[in-house]
Amino acid sequence: MVVEVREEVPSGRGAHLVDPVAVAIRTRPPARAGERERFASTDPSPGLDVARHPRVARLLHNRKLQFMLILPNQIIFWLVIGIGLLGTLVPGLNFATAITWYVWFCLVFVMMVVVGRAWCSMCPFGGFGEWVQRHTFWRRTPSSVGVGLKVPEVVGQYGFLLSVGTFLLLTWIEEFFNIAGPGNPASTSFMVLGIVGSALVFFMLFERRSFCRYVCPLTALIGTVGSMGSVAGFRTRDREVCFNCATKDCMRGSEDGYGCPWYTWPGSADSNLTCGLCTECYKSCPSDNIGLFVQKPLTSVVAPTRRRADVAWAVALLWGLVLYQQINALPFFGRMDNWLNVHTHFPQYPNPIDYLGVIALVAAVMAGIAWVVARVFVDRDYVVPAGGRSFVDRTSVFRTYFVPLMYGIIPVVGADYFARQLPKFFQHAPRVIPAVGHLFGVGSTTSTLYRTSIIGSNSGIIGVQVGVMVAGTLAAMWTSWRVAGRDLVVPSGQRRAVQWAALAIALVLGVIAAVLYVAMNAAD
Amino acid sequence: MTITDTERDLEHDGTTHVAVVADRCAGCQECVIRCPVGALSMDPATWTAVADDAVCVGCRQCVRTCPFSAISVQGPVRVTERLDPALHHPAVLEGNVDETRVGFASWEDARREAERCLTCLDPTCVRGCPAHNDIPGFIGALRDGDLTRAHEVLARTTVLPDVCSRVCNQSAQCEGACTWSLAGEAPVSIGRLERFITEHEPVPAPVVGDEATDLSVAVVGSGPAGAAVAWDLVRAGAAVTVFERDETPGGLPLWGMPDFTLPDEVARRPWRQLIEAGVEVRCGVEVGAQELTRLLAEHDAVVMAHGAGVPMRLPVPGADLAGVVDATSFLQGAKHALEPGGDADALRAALGLATVESRRPSVLVLGAGNTAMDVARMARRLGLDATCVDWLDERFALARPDELAEARAEGVTVRFQRTVTALRGEGRVASAELAVTSQKDAAHPPVVSSERETLPVDLVVMAMGYRLDPSFAPALPGTPVRKTVAPIPDRHWVASGILANPASAYAHHSPVGSLALGREVGLWSAALPVTDRLWVVGDALTGPATVVEAMAQGRRAAAAILDARPARPGRDSVGEGARSPRVLVCVESEGGTTRRAAEAIAQRFWRRGVDATVAALDEVGLPELAAADLLVVGSWVEGLVVTKVRPARATRAWLAALPRLGGRPVALFCTYGVNPRGALDEMRAALEAKGAVVIDQAAFGPRERRRDDDPAGPDAFGARLVAHALRQTAVRTVSR
Repeated sequence: MVVEVREEVPSGRGAHLVDPVAVAIRTRPPARAGERERFASTDPSPGLDVARHPRVARLLHNRKLQFMLILPNQIIFWLVIGIGLLGTLVPGLNFATAITWYVWFCLVFVMMVVVGRAWCSMCPFGGFGEWVQRHTFWRRTPSSVGVGLKVPEVVGQYGFLLSVGTFLLLTWIEEFFNIAGPGNPASTSFMVLGIVGSALVFFMLFERRSFCRYVCPLTALIGTVGSMGSVAGFRTRDREVCFNCATKDCMRGSEDGYGCPWYTWPGSADSNLTCGLCTECYKSCPSDNIGLFVQKPLTSVVAPTRRRADVAWAVALLWGLVLYQQINALPFFGRMDNWLNVHTHFPQYPNPIDYLGVIALVAAVMAGIAWVVARVFVDRDYVVPAGGRSFVDRTSVFRTYFVPLMYGIIPVVGADYFARQLPKFFQHAPRVIPAVGHLFGVGSTTSTLYRTSIIGSNSGIIGVQVGVMVAGTLAAMWTSWRVAGRDLVVPSGQRRAVQWAALAIALVLGVIAAVLYVAMNAAD
Repeated sequence: MTITDTERDLEHDGTTHVAVVADRCAGCQECVIRCPVGALSMDPATWTAVADDAVCVGCRQCVRTCPFSAISVQGPVRVTERLDPALHHPAVLEGNVDETRVGFASWEDARREAERCLTCLDPTCVRGCPAHNDIPGFIGALRDGDLTRAHEVLARTTVLPDVCSRVCNQSAQCEGACTWSLAGEAPVSIGRLERFITEHEPVPAPVVGDEATDLSVAVVGSGPAGAAVAWDLVRAGAAVTVFERDETPGGLPLWGMPDFTLPDEVARRPWRQLIEAGVEVRCGVEVGAQELTRLLAEHDAVVMAHGAGVPMRLPVPGADLAGVVDATSFLQGAKHALEPGGDADALRAALGLATVESRRPSVLVLGAGNTAMDVARMARRLGLDATCVDWLDERFALARPDELAEARAEGVTVRFQRTVTALRGEGRVASAELAVTSQKDAAHPPVVSSERETLPVDLVVMAMGYRLDPSFAPALPGTPVRKTVAPIPDRHWVASGILANPASAYAHHSPVGSLALGREVGLWSAALPVTDRLWVVGDALTGPATVVEAMAQGRRAAAAILDARPARPGRDSVGEGARSPRVLVCVESEGGTTRRAAEAIAQRFWRRGVDATVAALDEVGLPELAAADLLVVGSWVEGLVVTKVRPARATRAWLAALPRLGGRPVALFCTYGVNPRGALDEMRAALEAKGAVVIDQAAFGPRERRRDDDPAGPDAFGARLVAHALRQTAVRTVSR
């Protein structure tokens, strides 16, 4: 056993006043094997650290920053709850439905594609739970309210998959009650209230932001799609300092900041997947060794060397969901759903069998494609490297291909979700203004803005949707090409062929989505 | 190698299984660098920890140290059974003061127990020990059979290993913080191993080393704190004069601890060696608060180690009756009576018990702490019946668990949840009225019920503990210090895992981690003088505590004196060389402006080669304060100019929490936008209230900060402070 005496006595201290505890500490030096290979491709350039600028640094150090980000959204969503319950029943004129479904959902996608987890840093749902948990709006309190349980291992080992499950459940509920239609505004209120309430319950039961990391319906979507974003998140400036840090204040918290609520260590972060941009690590680092880095778009899709199976399956399932949301706008689907409802005695659309069936089928098809690619391209002499045996890190020939291929198609999935929100935005976003006016008695369904669209024609909307899909497909083709070029060359031994195959998959998926948008004819 | 997975069936099959949640493991390696047996390593591909179940012993240190709760361990711990030698029970208790606790009988037993030590890399036992003995270090030496090395390791932190190994409550200290204990198992018998070392090779006497100094230090009191101060100072060549009220040096361990716990020859050993090393001991000299000025004039430093010797008395009706005595007088009398040549009958007669002939006289001992146990057990050896009463619930008893068990085994009746409400008798106490109490938890005091009972007694001994002599309070400001744990504890301690378990089963509900961290306040406070050249250590500093704490504080004070090299007025200080002053610039900065001013001030020191450190206020604790010769405190100011401008809230809180600074020079500055108004004065008043001497102050507005060479700016202020610091050094080294 290699044992190193770590002298933690600060230099300059008088020799007589040495703390004997430090002398008795003989911790093992941290393992460094593979460090370079692991992080070389993901470490951002020091020049991309925006926290170097004093004004930004000052802002990030300010404990009120996240409060100020959350507060406006908190106000808006409590208004949504109240106005949805008490306001007009006209969905287009009710502030709750107008702001939520015409604007907010679309903006969230813009934020995740451009930034990453920007929404998480200002989310009022988790924010409310966190305020209660910390019993403060912004201060660093030493104790927390609630039971403080740790997330059970059985949940933690599946990473984002619980979140995918809650997203599928929420989407089904939304379809069942026609909440986002939008239907009865009260339904929107109940949905928001349900999210706030469940977040609060989880914040009271579990430590830190366990809800945001594992349960929130949006966390898997924002995490995966957000990896296209240009904000790398908070990362170490010098990993050497992090490895030698004896206190890990960024994880445990200090007087200046909480330990990372998202269970992310800047010292090993290789993507923006689980950085909630809450700034706590930045505030608590005793060595001023954490920066806020920007990156080229798609870096967090392409660069990470650790590819997680939960992310891959999340991408496949989310792709299934968004395809479902396209297919269900086609005329045949309504007839099929009705037929199923009649034969399964289910009251109305959407029948859970076709809902889950389509999603599972699409995910299975994606897995099948990866299996075929693996069978075609894998080198007979390829030996699967030993990995962890947890769900997230287990290795096999199938996973060797499936996981990188799913990472590669993230842009097309993200683009599809974004394009799916566009009809409502283009057709109805201006209604937010009369909806606000209606609260003060000046807006109505007869207002000009109520009938105004940003893009009124179906062809125009379809054009934008197809354009978004083209952009997403091109991005996915590029990421698939790059990911395959790095991750699939060794097992395949046929560099170009496997890259072309990955690129073709992305292209086909993009074309399918684009064709479906044309077939949907701008249905929202 | 078995790579641990998280999906395996976790049924207890007799093996230990470590599960790492791969999703949450961030690869920080806090577990890997600390695992005592090297069962954890890193998987470079996933950059997560992996565990080898075959190597894991189930100590769960990884669970306690993981910042993200990403590890769980299931299954039993793998450790051999603890070896606890049986107690020595005298066949005839009366008159027998033989030691009841025995050490390991053989090398084989000691080695077997030493093998149980995991040699933790970040040993929690070391933090749990008030003196921070390098426990894995001396146990390792013992395993190697090298007692000389074991003594060398012990000597770095303790001068009383033979005493502490006998009288320490290890279950709330080192053994309570042992990794095994924190994992719910019986800890390594650290106390007995330490005792084995001292029993098989005598504690080496202090040797005056090369580091000669002409310091003259007066030490008031010869308890463990005084012994430790004298030990380290005499080793450094200082002239040490000890003033002791009693006729024999040794303090409470000598007169207050019975021989069956601490034999006389062990208690006397340090003073025998100290006197041989040249320490001058003046016995029979009582130093009062009024003598301090004279001592300070005659010596370079004075260390008050006079303890907390005023016995606490229960203010109940009848407390002034004959037959009601305090623990000090009883223990001292009993000790003499039971010594060879002593007369137990004479003591019984003196206590008024000779007239009780028809039955065995009964003694009621008020309290059930360690002192009360000593009193009751001494009473049993004097042929008396002894009953202890304590208003606490037994779950929260203050006595060592083993001491309590031994007392009961010797026939002492210990009744918890009882308190005395009155003592009755005609001129002499004859009975005690007891009330029943109840206690919900340790944080709440017991509640006294209306239920009463009467207990016939012949003697009442008040043994509820001791308190500080109030006559010293004006002369020793800031004492006693409170041993509190910060709401956000030191992360080095958190990282070790000692705070993860609030109370291990072995520690009997004592939260060993927070108790140990609280003791750090006492330790580092001992390094700071309460006034110029006057240090206070031991019970006199913190109130009644333990022998080992007092000893550790004594060593810390001695180190501080050797570091500061104080000189009495009129003495030329030679031999300390031209040690550069150490400057600590501590600053509360919101946006960086105040920090930049602090750095500009520090630059001036750096340019002159002076050791200056800039630190945020929340990074400055007692160790940093203890090491600083000059303190520079800076803050931004808050408030509206039209109402009140004050130092920042964090600065005010920090100033309020400061310990006594004992005449330490301090400079102040603040940065402001419009007008600082009274902010500097408020800071000055707060610091002066803590005993600091404010040597200079400055406020930097936008105009002063604009130009580097502004005559009223930070740079010029720094230049003034440099001149002052160097002048002070020159004064200290040459002409004082």
